[in-house]
This record gives sequence, C-alpha cells and structure tokens, in this order.
Amino acid sequence: MASDRKVRVLVAKPGLDGHDRGARVIAYGLRDAGFEVIYTGLRQSPEQIAREAIQEDVDAVGLSILSGAHLALTAKVLELLRDQGAQDIPVLVGGLIPERDKDALRKLGVAGVFTAGTPIREVAEFIASRVEAA
Amino acid sequence: MLDETWQRLVQGACDAEPRALARLISRVESREAGWQQAMQALYPHTGRARILGITGSPGAGKSSLADRLAAGFVARGHRVGIIAVDPSSPFSGGALLGDRLRMRDAATSAAVFIRSMATRGSLGGLAQGTRDVARVLDAAGYDLVLIETVGVGQDEIEIVKAADVVMVVCVPGQGDGVQALKAGIMEIADLFVVNKADRDGADRVEADIRGMLALSGDDPDGLERVFQTSAVSGAGVDALIDALSTRAARVPLSADRALERSREEVLVLMEREIARRVRVRLEGDGRLEEAVRNIRCGRSDPYSAAESLLADLASFEGGAHE
Amino acid sequence: MQRTRDEIERAEEAWRREVVEPRVERFKIPECPIRFYTPASAGDFDFLEKVGFPGQYPFTAGNHAFEAWRAYAEAGAKLGVRPDYGASSAGRYSGYGTAEDYRDYLRAMQARGSRGGPNVAFDLVTQCGFDSDSPNALGEVGRVGVAIDSYRDFRVIYEAFTGERDIDKVASNFTINAPCAVILAMLAALAEERGIPLAKLRGTPQNDILKEFIARGTYIYPPRESMRLFRDTLVFCRRHLPGMNVNSIGGYHIREAGATRVQDLAFSMANGIAYLQEGVDAGLPIDDFAPKFTFNAFGGSMQVYHEIAFQRAARRMWARIVKERFGASDPHAMMVRQPAGAHIGCTSTTLQRPLNNIARSVIGGMACGMSGGMPAAYPPFDEPLGLGHSQESIQLQLDATRIMIYEAGISDVADPWAGSYFMESLTDEIEGAAQQELARIEGMGGAVGAIENGYMPRAVAQSAYERQKRVEAQEDLVVGVNCFTGENELELSLNRASEELYDPEHLRSAEERQRAKLALLKRERSEAAVSHSLRALERDAKDSDANVMPAIVECVKSEATLQEICDVLRGVFGEAEPVKL
Repeated sequence: MASDRKVRVLVAKPGLDGHDRGARVIAYGLRDAGFEVIYTGLRQSPEQIAREAIQEDVDAVGLSILSGAHLALTAKVLELLRDQGAQDIPVLVGGLIPERDKDALRKLGVAGVFTAGTPIREVAEFIASRVEAA
Repeated sequence: MLDETWQRLVQGACDAEPRALARLISRVESREAGWQQAMQALYPHTGRARILGITGSPGAGKSSLADRLAAGFVARGHRVGIIAVDPSSPFSGGALLGDRLRMRDAATSAAVFIRSMATRGSLGGLAQGTRDVARVLDAAGYDLVLIETVGVGQDEIEIVKAADVVMVVCVPGQGDGVQALKAGIMEIADLFVVNKADRDGADRVEADIRGMLALSGDDPDGLERVFQTSAVSGAGVDALIDALSTRAARVPLSADRALERSREEVLVLMEREIARRVRVRLEGDGRLEEAVRNIRCGRSDPYSAAESLLADLASFEGGAHE
Repeated sequence: MQRTRDEIERAEEAWRREVVEPRVERFKIPECPIRFYTPASAGDFDFLEKVGFPGQYPFTAGNHAFEAWRAYAEAGAKLGVRPDYGASSAGRYSGYGTAEDYRDYLRAMQARGSRGGPNVAFDLVTQCGFDSDSPNALGEVGRVGVAIDSYRDFRVIYEAFTGERDIDKVASNFTINAPCAVILAMLAALAEERGIPLAKLRGTPQNDILKEFIARGTYIYPPRESMRLFRDTLVFCRRHLPGMNVNSIGGYHIREAGATRVQDLAFSMANGIAYLQEGVDAGLPIDDFAPKFTFNAFGGSMQVYHEIAFQRAARRMWARIVKERFGASDPHAMMVRQPAGAHIGCTSTTLQRPLNNIARSVIGGMACGMSGGMPAAYPPFDEPLGLGHSQESIQLQLDATRIMIYEAGISDVADPWAGSYFMESLTDEIEGAAQQELARIEGMGGAVGAIENGYMPRAVAQSAYERQKRVEAQEDLVVGVNCFTGENELELSLNRASEELYDPEHLRSAEERQRAKLALLKRERSEAAVSHSLRALERDAKDSDANVMPAIVECVKSEATLQEICDVLRGVFGEAEPVKL
C-alpha cells in the first residue's frame, strides 16, 4: 500500500452469547499483527454490525458466535451488508461451528470459517491477502 | 484534477452517503494520493460544524458521556459526528479501537456517524488528520463533531486544540485528582466535567477544579465552566448540553483566535508536505543513505549532514505523489 | 532417624553437583528437565495446621470423612446404577426448545432410567432477561437451553415431575444468573400451586452474577444493583426456601474464559466474599446462610498436579476466610461445597482428533479423584464438536469414571498426596499467589470495585491472549493441535451413530412456536393484574431496603412475562455498561 493505509477489521459478537474469550484473543492478536481492530463487544445486533462495518470502512468483518445461532445471525448480517451496498466486505465467522454448518455458511457468502485452534497468524494472513486482492 | 473515483467519493460524502463518506475518510486519513485535492473540493462545503473536544484520563467515562451528549444533541435537531481516537501500539503499529462499545445509543441513531481513529504514531500530524476528518464530516452535513481522546499524551492534547470547545472529563476517586491532569490541559480546556458524580468525592473534585480556575481568572463571557454529570443515569447532561450549545454558538471565534488557527493549519500542512517531499527526494537519489554511512564511519555528524543536504536541495518543487 | 533441614539441603547440593550436572552435560541440554522435591521444599510443614483431617477444618484433605457417593459405591456397582455426572440429585444438565419440547425430553430420559430432578439450561434470551419475541431473540430461542417467557412455560417443564418425582422429592438446578429472582419466584409459585411446603424444595440456582461480568456475559443490571438483587434472593431463600442452595459460585467459568489458575482462585474468593458480605449486611448470621453457598467445579487444565494442589488450596483458603474473617463456627459454612471438581474444563478438549479427549478427561478425573471429588471423566469427548453429547460419548465417560473408581481404586484413599513435599509446597504456592491477588482486588474495593474498574475482566482477557500466544509459539504444547500433526499421524474420529435426543425440527421451529404461545398468553391474561403487579414491583425496587422477591412472585403469578419483569428492573436499576478491553 502506497499510503499510510492500515488494515481495519471489525470484531463483533452478534446475538446474546457472552463468551468473548475467542473474540478478545483475536482482537489482541490482530492488533499485534498491525491491524486496526474495531472491537464492539457483546450483544451486537446484525443492524449495528452492518452500520459499524460501513462507517468504519473495514476490510473485513469477524463474527464470533458460540451459541449455535450462527446461521441465522450470519445470514442477517450478510443480507444487511448487501442491502447497503457493502457486499464486497468479506465476512469471517469463528467460534463453535459444527463441521456440517461450514458449507452452509460458505453458501451464504461467508469468506472464511475459522474455528478453535486456528492460529491468529492464519486469520491475519487471510485478511491481508483479501485486502491485496481487492 | 480529481480522478473519477475521488470525485464520486467527494460527491457521495457531501450527500452523506455512508459508504462513500466512510471511504473518503479512510483515504484522507491515510493521505492517499489526491487527498489534498479532495480536501480542496470539500472545503467550500464546510464551515458549519462546531467541533467539541472531549478529553480526560482513562476510566473517566468519556465514551459514555459522548454517547449521552450525542443523543441529547440529536434530540435538539443536530446531526452529530463522533471521532473516537485511541493510541496505536508503538510495537506493531496496530490498534484496538474500542470506544464505540460504550456508544450504544449513538451507534443506533441514524443522525450519528461514529468513526474510530488510531493515532498511528504520526507525531504532530495527528491533530491535522483529525481536523481533516472532522471537515469531511462537516461537508457531509454533520453540524456537530465530537472528538474524543484520552488526555495522557501530547498528541491527544494537540488533537483537542483543533476543537472549538474543549471539555475535560474528570472522575472522583482517581488518586491525585485534578493534579494528575497533564499541565497543558488546564490551559486549553473551556469546560470541566466531573463525571460519575454519583460517587463519593465528586464535590471535592469540583472544588479542586474551581480552586485552580480561580487562579487563572474568570471566563471572559462569564459562562459556567464546571459541571457534574452521571453518564450512566443521565444526570446533569442536559445542563452540560445547554452550556456546550451556548459556547458553540459563540463560534466563530474571536478574530484573533481564528486567524491563529488558520495560520497554524497552513504551516502544519506545508511542513508536512515539505518534509514528505524532501524525504522522497533524498531517499530516491541515495544521498540520504550516503550521508548516513558517512556518519556511521565517523566522517561526518548528523548536524553537518542535515545542513549540507539542505544546501544541496535546489528547490522543493516536484516530488509529486507516486 | 530425623534429619535436619541443613543436612538435607547440603545433601541436595552435593547431589546436584555429583549426579545431576554430569548427566545434564552428558545429554548436552541446558538444564535438568525435571524437578525433585525434598522435605526442605515443603518449608515449615505443620500437618495439623496445613492439612488436618478430611471433614475437619481447614478441610484441605476433603469436606467429609468420605463423600456420600462413596458410601454406596460398591452397592451401586452391583445394582448397575448410573451415577449421573455430578453427585447431586438433579439429573443431567439439559434444556432446549420450548418448555413442551424439554418436558417431553425429560420424560424420555425418565423412561430410560433417569431419576433426578431437572438440571435446567435456559436459552440466552431467557438468561439475558428478554422474551422470545424480542428483536434480541433472533436465532437464539430454545438454542442453548429451554425458552422460558412466563410462569406458564415454567410450569410445563414440571409436568414431568409429579407423584414420586414431585418437587419435594427431587432437586432442581437452574443455570440462571441475572434473572434468577424470576425463576426462583416461579418455583415458589409452583410449590404454592401444588400445595407443597416451600421448605421442602431442594436444588441450586447458579445465581452468581459477578462472574458474568468477568467471564460469561449474561448480565443485565450494573454490578451494584445486581448485588442488591442477589441480597434479595439470598434473604428470600433463607426465609422461605431453606432447603435450597443459594448459589453456585463459578471459578469454572472464569477459568474457561482464560484466567490463570491463580486468578481463578483469587477472583472466586473475591466474589464469594462479596456474596457473604451481602448476607452479613442484611443481618443474617453467617452460620445460617454460608452453609448454603456452593461452588461450581473448580478446575480447568490438564496439569494434574497443579489441579490437585488447587483444590486443596481452594478448600483451605475458603475455610480460613469464612472462619477467621467472617467468624463462622458451623463447619458446613466453611466447606467448598461443589458437585464436581478438578475436571479439565471444556477448553482443554480439542476439536482435532477428538477421541483424545477421552484420555484428557480421564486425567481430569484422576486429579478430581485424588483431590476429594468423584473421579468423573468429564467432559465427553465430543464436547468441542458443538453437536451435543452423543450417547456413545456419554457411555465412554461413565465407563471411564467407573474404571477409575472400581478398578483403579482412586477413591480408596482420602487426600493421597497429603504430606508429599511436592504437593504441599505446590499447594502453599498457589494459595500464596492467590492471597496476593486477592489483596490487590480488596484494594480496589473488592469484587464489585474490581469489576467496575474493568480489572478482573481485562486480566482474564489478557491471560487468554497470553495462552494463545504460547500455544502458537509452541511454548505450550497441545497434542494434535500444535505438535504431532504431521502426515504420519492418523486423524482419528468416531462415527457418532446415535445422536442426542434433541429433535432438530423442534429447534428449528422453537422461535415460531414460542412467539405464538406468547401472543396467546398476552390475549388470555388479565392486563390489569399484570400492570398492577409490575407497578408494585417498581415501587419495591426503588426502595433499596425492600425485598423485591414477594413482588416478583406476584408478577409471575399474574403472568407477567420474564422480560416485562426484567424491564421494570431495567427502568429502576439501569443496564450494565459493557466492559472496555
């Protein structure tokens, strides 16, 4: 990147799930990888997430969900981003995602599913490569 | 001349189209090639917004207070922009921007635009950068822009100097009390807010502040300068908004202060641009590297090197963006 | 022949020089990779002061001479009894869908021999004080637990508990925190409806709101106001539900959120102290209510020795606090009453090569069995798959537990490590570090202060991050995850033939059905009665000396919904601010 541009990522927990260990770890980790992380905490509605993603002009949205509500919530976030002309922002999903749901998420339009044990480096590289390609 | 992409973004921002506005902010913040021309195009559309700076030590509840203020101003018919500034990590260059977390109400209001900014380690350039982003929001029709930073560093104090009205937020129970505030803050602050006023010690902090203010003389307009609020319950917020509105309405500033501001701004912009062009030139033709090598093997010193490089530079023309 | 400490230390020095260093040199490594402990390591070891006897202060060796389950272990084996995980008489932790779905599930479990009461998991909508038709409920209704919007729903669950299994004969557990008062009110209303004396009810509500701010996130009101609510539930329980436990204080969740062992212990003690203080401030005698406090499964790592030491330190530390600081005399007040302990924690299981989780859970069971608990091999191996526990995994879990008890004889000795130079020194070390951390928290104004200033939540997040970095740097090794992952390794997994009894179709339609029930409820009930009861609640909530429980019971009976009740309290108490990183 020619300018001072930094990679900006939104890390959000949609729905009511309160287990934010994973989200916090990824937030710290991406910061230490040189990204600007907009961390919005718990109980984000899909509407709030879409607004934040657009206002902050993020290069990626990371959703962390452990409650099993990942399909419904992710679908809603993707729909809202599309409606507001931001379908080009890649959405990543992490947390407790059963294997059989990973395909469903990808079919919805999720750019990547990163479950427990994924090194932070891998997530950072994935996002950086999407930014390069854009 | 602006290319099509820039033009679309500038137009979109002026129309307050969220995506265009956000993208324009990113480009301006990152000083992407063409940004000055974009600011030139935007400038005629600015001038309406009043900028409120909010600073204070960590834990004072600035973000929650900003949230309340935004809601209050929106209720009075304003459109509010919020710029929340947090420090970048000096090691990785990244940042954790978490102020939005406390701005639940503002985040859901259609009349509020929140943008998180990292300091990005650009000493001195940050105040200007924030000023530029505030101008973009101004052009987009946000007539009130809150800039929120932590007042622990010189940078952050520089940022709020860009504001028309500066508010310092204190909180009871912080050990050294008012004395802990950075020396520069007392001089630049227009208002002091004791937040979390439901806690013990709020009155004492207010008394401390009034004591310090007594030494520096009354407000020239006779306006109240110290307030108590509880961002959580909303107590005192209306009175604060009234006070801020009154002060904001008195801007444009006195002629002197306005002149000084513009003078400073032009100088800063020039200095940054000059420094950038010099660096590009010297890095481009290898003379900087040669000078550095000379210093390392004892043939020269940094002072002589700088002097002779400057003398060599015939002019500062060129150096157009890559 | 008794040696002096000096003699031993000199002998150790000589040993290092003559035996260890040459060997280290021979193998060309920087230092000796293992440790050895001597009598000098345990310092001034006073057996009676540091350990004592199982069942006696300071309870280091265990709460009782022997645990209740141990009395009947041999007989139970011969009868083929299935000891549900956790030695309480509440059944397996479960809950999903609507109350009707859950009731039917419970009946199915009963048909297969389950005899315990309901051990209820509530969905997040309920846990966060919302109704199923709230915009916040999207995707969450009936998912991680059963959806309870009103007393009507609550009552339906208990259709599975009548006659021999009526609520005076089985224990109910509720994993509920912020709206605990509402659930307890529903239980009280149910007993009244059935003509059962409240004093006969048994069970445990989790009711541990402080850990929600630190680790689990289902809080509603700010910390101070939440403690007021806790006080009201505590007083209500002591006065009207004397057979119920008051809470289940969770170190477990704090550890799972990433806390270090020392933070887990210190923060749990701090929270426990805060709850005890509420009781004292409310004028209750310590010996009256402290015996009704329980803890939720201390434990949470693979480090066997450390988890054993941790249990011992936790018991000793709590006993000392309750006795010396709060002046209790009833031994039951000083015990760490927990249904299970020392299991490895779900975060110690791996998604990769999940069958390895069986080995892991056995290690946790060993630690548990050697530190005063039943050696339960928890969790089942498929825990991290996110699909619920299959019947295969549960069978393996039960058998592993049985093997440890009956074949290995793990529970034939109380506190087998007592007196071990290593274990005593490790116990002292953990307790000492936790005392220091606890002192730091007390300096911030106790648990509430250390939550309000963000210290505890941030400390936990920081520890979680540090652990992640160590794993990624291969400083902490996890088999199958960051080591031994080459192409010669087999990625073993098991075809889980029989799935859980949670009907996926029920899960899918739960939100829709629940909304329909809510609509029906609102049509059928008396709006006048509801608003009357809600207004009375608001009055009592505003009076900090009043107890809101009786008013909540009236609300529940008038069929106000859970959210309507919680919203009244939101209006009075405000909502908690999110914690900044």
